[in-house]
Amino acid sequence: MHLKYESQLREPLVYGEKDFHQVTEDICRPIEAKPSRLWYIGFFISVALLMFGVYSIYEEVIYGTGQWNLNKTVGWGWDITNFVWWVGIGHAGTLISAILLLFRQGWRTGVNRAAEAMTIFAVMCAGQFPIWHMGRVWMAFFVMPYPNTRGPLWSNFNSPLLWDVFAISTYFTVSLLFWYSGLLPDFATVRDRAKTKLRKKLYGIAAFGWTGSTKHWQRHESLSLVLAGLATPLVLSVHTIVSFDFATSVIPGWHTTIFPPYFVAGAIFSGFAMVQTLMLVLRKVYGLQDYITLGHIEAMNKVIVLTGSIVGVAYLTELFMGWYSQNKYEQYAFFYSRANLFSPYGWSYWGMMACNVLSPQIFWLRKMRRNLFVTFFMSIIVNIGMWFERFVIIVTSLYRDYLPSSWSIYYSPSIFEIGFYVGTFGLFFTCFFLFSKYFPVIAIAEIKHVLQTTGESYKDQVGNIETQQVEEFAHEYAH
Amino acid sequence: MSNNKHWQSFGELNNSEAFQKAAKDEFHEDLPFVADDKTFLEAVAPRRDFLKYLGFSTAAAALAASCEIPVKKAIPFANKPEDIVPGVANYYATTYVQDGDTVSVVAKVRDGRPIKIEGNELSPVTKGGTSARVQASVLDLYDNARLRFPTIDNKEVTLEAVDKSVAQALSGLGGASVVILTSTINSPTTLEVINQFIAKYPGSRHVQYDAVSYSGILQANEASYGKRAIPSYRFDNAQVIVSIGADFLGTWLSPVEFSKQYAKGKRINEKNPSMSKHIHFETVPSLTGSNADDRYLHRPSETGAVAVALLNAINGQAASGIGDAKLKAGIEKAAKELSANKGASLVVCGSNDVNVQIVVNTINEALQSGGKTIDWSVTANYRQGIDSDFAKLVDDMNAGTIGALLVHSANPAYTWYNADKFKSGLKNVKTSVCFNVRKDETAQLCKYVIPDHHFLESWGDAEPKSGNYSLIQPTINPLFKTRQWQDSLLKWSGSTSDYLGYVKNYWVTKLGSEVSWDKALQDGVINPASEPVPTAASFNGASNDGAVSAIASLKKGGNYELVLYQKIAIGAGQGATNPWLQEMPDPITKATWDNYLVISPKLAKTLVDIDLNNAGQSDSYEVHPDKKVVTVTANGKSVSLPVLIIPGTQENTVGIAIGYGRAKEVGRTSDGAGKNVFPFAGMNGNTVSFSVPDVTLTLTDETYKVAITQTHATYDTPQGNRTEVMKELTLAHYKKDPSEVRDEREEELKPWGGLENFEKQGTIYPYFDKPGIHWGMSVDLNTCTGCGACVVACNAENNVSVVGKGEVARFHEMHWIRIDRYYSGDLDNPKVVFQPLMCQHCDNAPCENVCPVAATNHSSEGLNQMTYNRCIGTRYCANNCPYKVRRFNWADYTGADSFPDNQDQTTVGKLDDVVHVMNEDLSRMVLNPDVTVRSRGVIEKCSFCVQRLQEGKLKAKKASRPLKTGANDEWDLKVACQQACPSDAIVFGNINDSKSAIVKNRVDNHFREFYSIEQVHTLPNVSYLAKVRNTYDEPAKAEG
Repeated sequence: MHLKYESQLREPLVYGEKDFHQVTEDICRPIEAKPSRLWYIGFFISVALLMFGVYSIYEEVIYGTGQWNLNKTVGWGWDITNFVWWVGIGHAGTLISAILLLFRQGWRTGVNRAAEAMTIFAVMCAGQFPIWHMGRVWMAFFVMPYPNTRGPLWSNFNSPLLWDVFAISTYFTVSLLFWYSGLLPDFATVRDRAKTKLRKKLYGIAAFGWTGSTKHWQRHESLSLVLAGLATPLVLSVHTIVSFDFATSVIPGWHTTIFPPYFVAGAIFSGFAMVQTLMLVLRKVYGLQDYITLGHIEAMNKVIVLTGSIVGVAYLTELFMGWYSQNKYEQYAFFYSRANLFSPYGWSYWGMMACNVLSPQIFWLRKMRRNLFVTFFMSIIVNIGMWFERFVIIVTSLYRDYLPSSWSIYYSPSIFEIGFYVGTFGLFFTCFFLFSKYFPVIAIAEIKHVLQTTGESYKDQVGNIETQQVEEFAHEYAH
Repeated sequence: MSNNKHWQSFGELNNSEAFQKAAKDEFHEDLPFVADDKTFLEAVAPRRDFLKYLGFSTAAAALAASCEIPVKKAIPFANKPEDIVPGVANYYATTYVQDGDTVSVVAKVRDGRPIKIEGNELSPVTKGGTSARVQASVLDLYDNARLRFPTIDNKEVTLEAVDKSVAQALSGLGGASVVILTSTINSPTTLEVINQFIAKYPGSRHVQYDAVSYSGILQANEASYGKRAIPSYRFDNAQVIVSIGADFLGTWLSPVEFSKQYAKGKRINEKNPSMSKHIHFETVPSLTGSNADDRYLHRPSETGAVAVALLNAINGQAASGIGDAKLKAGIEKAAKELSANKGASLVVCGSNDVNVQIVVNTINEALQSGGKTIDWSVTANYRQGIDSDFAKLVDDMNAGTIGALLVHSANPAYTWYNADKFKSGLKNVKTSVCFNVRKDETAQLCKYVIPDHHFLESWGDAEPKSGNYSLIQPTINPLFKTRQWQDSLLKWSGSTSDYLGYVKNYWVTKLGSEVSWDKALQDGVINPASEPVPTAASFNGASNDGAVSAIASLKKGGNYELVLYQKIAIGAGQGATNPWLQEMPDPITKATWDNYLVISPKLAKTLVDIDLNNAGQSDSYEVHPDKKVVTVTANGKSVSLPVLIIPGTQENTVGIAIGYGRAKEVGRTSDGAGKNVFPFAGMNGNTVSFSVPDVTLTLTDETYKVAITQTHATYDTPQGNRTEVMKELTLAHYKKDPSEVRDEREEELKPWGGLENFEKQGTIYPYFDKPGIHWGMSVDLNTCTGCGACVVACNAENNVSVVGKGEVARFHEMHWIRIDRYYSGDLDNPKVVFQPLMCQHCDNAPCENVCPVAATNHSSEGLNQMTYNRCIGTRYCANNCPYKVRRFNWADYTGADSFPDNQDQTTVGKLDDVVHVMNEDLSRMVLNPDVTVRSRGVIEKCSFCVQRLQEGKLKAKKASRPLKTGANDEWDLKVACQQACPSDAIVFGNINDSKSAIVKNRVDNHFREFYSIEQVHTLPNVSYLAKVRNTYDEPAKAEG
């Protein structure tokens, strides 16, 4: 019997009359069954997009960065926009698994596995951009501080770009470890159910010899807590450091102290939106409505409206500071290049405002928070808005900075810039499709854990207990 | 188990000793690496040996397989020439000559190749100044499109064959006359050679033809002064300069010389500020007009009326005949100013109309300019062609009276307004010989083509101004089977001497000895014994009344008028074949690689529906390189060109640059660049007029991409005037409050302790001393005219890539120094300021700390250094540079990349042909071996010519003395832009040396000194001196 008591009023986290076996069956079904037609179609579309991305990168590496439409004034465009965007998306997974674990939010178990996978894939996508945006990518190893034969040459630790290298790689490593350690018991479950030798062998390797002994469980729990403790500051630090790329520069519109918190809030905002997009599809396709419930969706929508509003306040603060500073360069960036709808890139600022600040306010209404269609639509809108935000920050600041003589012509992406971005979608979804086919998309062990206390059947039981007469109860539990 | 012994052979049965030994040694040859007493597996290291053999064989195979590396031969001298030291440059004085333009220069020769042109400081005419075209001329030497051998009917022949054939043709003319058609020739020996030839063929004549002629001035001077000559203009003696459409700083007559003189009047002495005043009347904005203190607009058809009104006003009458009130007021002001400075004023006019020039002569006479600002003791020989002479020649050709035409350095099939008539006339000429260096429009039509040398391969002389001689000596062996055209003439006139002998003989005789000749050759110039004293010429005003009435009877202009102008870089087409010049942004329009229709903002509103006052519309016009196309029609001819809206254009006037739209055969560089508008010119009386009084403009649906390097034109924004970028003020203000600029800076920097403490208090980082050498530059915006000579000089010195129109249009140009043009004031007739901008070499450089691999860093001498082979190309430095001077190699522009076949991209960023042209072996000969050619994917930028700094430092070190950077005008080094500048606006040197020119410049001008956007605390090492304008206007007071 669990010691935890949860109010009847709270929604159950798992619906249906499930026992442990049923849970295992539900979650392992996609892994053990043949993929559906839909899966194949989706997978091949993703691989096709990935191939287009690979071709776009190939062109860019062979012919140079001129294959993109960047120019002498706008040195970063879609590349770094997409980088920041993907990194932002990669924030929700670790936030859900680490911070919510520490806060003992039981509802995380339904979504954490897929969200963590999403994080890993998103960071993989993000990593592509700073790598391939280099003019001489074959010299990229210069950023690594390792003993070398080039004399006193060493990487420049003053450069925020170098901090990025460490921030992203650390984040990726910790997220991967966290994800993988959570997967061990589930891999063992799949292994134990395997019907072919090959499956048994491969899942056996993946499970690292998990036996389910108490010692294993005890170590597993401790490791999860330690990694959660490590990952928690990373959730905050990664995007803080990414924001330093801009905040430490001298360019009006970049040189802003508000960036770290504003970037972190934005990252969580977009990360949760991406989780929503994926979960809504996943639960439908794999029939996991009992595990990824409306309650989960509502909880995440609450996070979205909160972080969206934080981001909105940040936007307004920027505008206020632009006015309050009386710095004409900053004012120009904020009031002309951005807030003026009729300036060349005015559309992107107002697109950002509409998508990120105005539209999420709909989630103040409970009905909307629980509406699947609205949620799905909004999750897409939020990610479009967050893409706009990064585009606004990068392009509208760069294209008109200090000297009017250097103001840029209109920057719009070339086919290969678009191709690169589309290619990262290909990478992301290829990975995600493989993940959804071969990995348990919901943490089986963890869901069983919450099933005992907050599953629907349990709640019914508890309800029964509460309505039972004392004698009846005593009779039933008199062992 | 039995004890039976089984045997296999008899030997075994017997088991003899011999058998036992044989059995034991059956495999007696051991494996190679096994010692005798050990088995294979016991051997010391068979595995390692195996790996050694494997490694060796793999390496050998790899080496053999990789032997396809192209073999590049570097062959050492078998006998080293005495005066050639590899790696050390030689300098030869010579003369840049093109169509009468004459500039004394010094050619820098490295390892037998001329790679850079500098001005010759010994010339009293140009005083070491150069222009963009002079700087770029070295590239013409290595032009792929140069003709490489003589041809007859386009077939390659030997010189002997062509000589024989021409001699035969000339002797078989049967009395029909021979005409030598050249551009202006001011070489005394060449003229003698021509005369010798004419003497040999009686009835022949020499016709000089200038694409843009000055026959208006020449003939007016004949009428007014009795001399068909152009006097020396002395802008340095003028307190008041009035120009009626004469672009004397850009394209008129002798801009290098005039820039030097003009700068003298514009240089301000802080203690006693005074400046010359320059009032300019023009139709479309020119470089000179942009530099004027006050500028007024008139229609092209009103040029004469303006001159007459000015004359009347000077004579105290009303400036009648001028409708426009602003223009009228301007004329009156100019007249007042001129009259008040009689003897120290000068009026020049760019019109080619004899009558207008006669009126201008009368004005100058009234102002007593003769002998003061106009010197008749020395005539300028840059242009001598008379349009009517040429028109007559064309008539004669059509009439069939010309038997032979010898063309040198003239291209009337392209530049003559009625080229078709010339072409049809040429068909009637039995023998046509062309000495032009490329297969231009005229050379294509000539039977015999014997290409001339480039001037860097030639011998010769020139007399740019009477009494001032400049010698030409070769700096390289002729690259091709070409011959100096004078040699051809000499040969055909039966002379036994070659031209070198002729020149030498001429000068040795004239100078008295061979030693003097050698000395003259070394100096490059032969100067008059004493400084010429300006002298007047006797004036005959009789023609004035006729001229005035002729002007009055001129037809009024129609709704829209067209004016054809020359661009500084391209001229009348001379620069069109030079990639550096094509890619040099026009100072005013900032456009490259094309000509276009220049229209006023007012006309734009009605014609193309773009209102520059509407921020949204003006933005969208600016940021998109695709410009609307308008068809211009006049006299049955029409041309469709993209429209550029240029403030300061007269509202009823449109302008198009000549010199574009060259024939395909002229070269791959000029092919496809712009359209030819020479046919719009016409004959006005005796002279060619480059304006059309009535044209029709029709908007088409098309757009055309114009490659522009600067979009925004004013530093005034809705959020405040960016006065920290660039500072300008009026002379009146400056006199009243000389410290205005300094006070402004003090105010800006007040939050950080003001000017004094800004360096230390503007940062949280510790302060560092800067001992030793610290390099710095100062640019005087008052004397900078924006001519662009520095831009091309930098291209040549630093191997800056040419990227072609396609890439410029994508904002990918690579120039290390650019000239920013800003407008201020009235949109219809704004003030223009030019600000040369190169890397500011900030002591607190934002680019340096953001590079993840420390590829850009600071030297102990204050240089912001760029390490190409460390750069990984993140472009973060370029983003974080507030001056945006960093340039990224977006593609493999130079062919220096290690990736093969990476210049043939098609989908995005297709490279223009010119990039390939510049990568050919011949073009690459122009590269400066001291400067790394950058490969794809790295950032580059101005290095302050670090190669020159090193050389200069070594020079001082070898002489064991401190470095000299301008102390007592002694220089160990000059940077390329500084050296090229015709107005000495750029000063460079060691700011830690209190005697250096840079320190003197900064101290002497400390009121005007400023640093661009210094509040960012970049601590630049490039300072500027504020522009002071001697204007009537009160500029809008800059607001913070």
